[in-house]
Amino acid sequence: MIDVINLKKNFGEKEVLKGIDLHVDKGDIICIVGPSGSGKSTFLRCVNCMEDPTDGQIIFDGVNIADMSVDINIHRRKIGMVFQHFNLFNNMTVLENIMLAPVIYGIKDMRAAKKAGKLQAKKTRAEVKEECRKEAMELLARIGLQDFADAYPSTLSGGQKQRVAIARALAMKPEVILFDEPTSALDPEMVGEVLDLMRRVANAGMTMLIVTHEMGFAREVAKTVLFMDDGRILETNEPKAFFNEPKNPRLKDFLSKVL
Amino acid sequence: MLAKIQKFIEYFITYRGYVKVLLGLKNTIIIAVIGLLIGIVIGTVIATIRVVPKYKVLPRVLDKFCDFYVALFRGTPIVVQLLVFYYVFFPLIGVQITSVNVSILVFGLNSGAYVSEIMRSGIQSVDPGQMEAGRALGLSFSRTMWKIVIPQAVKNILPTLGNEFIALIKETSVISFVGAADLYAAFNYIGSNSYEFMVPFLAMALIYIILVLFITLLIRLMERRLAVSDRRH
Repeated sequence: MIDVINLKKNFGEKEVLKGIDLHVDKGDIICIVGPSGSGKSTFLRCVNCMEDPTDGQIIFDGVNIADMSVDINIHRRKIGMVFQHFNLFNNMTVLENIMLAPVIYGIKDMRAAKKAGKLQAKKTRAEVKEECRKEAMELLARIGLQDFADAYPSTLSGGQKQRVAIARALAMKPEVILFDEPTSALDPEMVGEVLDLMRRVANAGMTMLIVTHEMGFAREVAKTVLFMDDGRILETNEPKAFFNEPKNPRLKDFLSKVL
Repeated sequence: MLAKIQKFIEYFITYRGYVKVLLGLKNTIIIAVIGLLIGIVIGTVIATIRVVPKYKVLPRVLDKFCDFYVALFRGTPIVVQLLVFYYVFFPLIGVQITSVNVSILVFGLNSGAYVSEIMRSGIQSVDPGQMEAGRALGLSFSRTMWKIVIPQAVKNILPTLGNEFIALIKETSVISFVGAADLYAAFNYIGSNSYEFMVPFLAMALIYIILVLFITLLIRLMERRLAVSDRRH
């Protein structure tokens, strides 16, 4: 589904990513671990071109989205992203946060369908909105926050915010979701609820790329774990072998510090 | 003093000075309100151009143009701008325009330069994560700006925007330079007819301050309404 080929990223003079290759299949759950400053977040942010790669290719569904002439917005619809600091829209309620993008794209698709002359696809704006609202409410029920639909993000706890952020990503029915340290900004007692939700999303068959410091979670949920250091992927393995028999000396060192 | 007040009332009511005052008040409010609206539109556009990523040539050219625009309108007094537009620019291009309309235009253009800086600081006060989250959902830069960043920016800058409106209200007292009827013209008229300036100008000051206090109240109400998404209720 995603092929990353020789991805490089420089910030000014500094080389942050020094050539990354990665193949992601549908249903893969890949956890990326490594010391801070190793480039894992930058790598993740390059996958949906939040950072424009300096060099290399990112082939998503057969299109090189690192190419600046590609309309990135079309492809980002299918790549969800969850941030360390949640980044819920502060000026909107929880429900509006989840509905915003689906409604905008629902209306856009409806117009396109009309133009193409598909009469059976004809819907009114209100119908599109109502449909998105229903789906958003279902999502909220799934994450157990239906009572907070009309609350503003500022009134939620960190864990609740991150669950809403995950729901917001899910609402776009993406093919893959990128998680950028989703639990790093949370109080310890809230980490569990977010990891629980991510586990459920994983069990539902979502393709996930997760940058995390939660080694327990990576060991349990990931199909593949990557170790990044100094802008390179130094070790790739299935979790059991990754944690029990690390080969790279730097990974051994890293694991001895964090486990 | 009593005699002076009586004289003022005589000229204000019996000689229909109030008609001119009301006209002046109307012009002041129209020019300040429409001027501010134009200013907000121009200011928002300029501020957006300022924060657009500058990979391509067009945003860079527009940015330079905005620099020029802001320098021009912040670098000259508004009276000078009024005079230039009324006596130089419009006669040169051969357009007939009333002094009130010129005033609206000049106040709008002038305010646009100031609002652009206010708006820019407002936009920059919004967490960059908000823009990132919007873009990550596949929304375009402009859509994210319009739906997410600018509403939050406006909330942050409302008190400063209120200041700008108050400044505009008070600055309208120079439009008589191009012959438009404002409060100053009205009270000056009463004064010069009655040979008595003390009370008319005192009354003028009073009207301005009441106007400004009223606007302050309006802004406070608006702030309270916009604070629904805030933590501090």
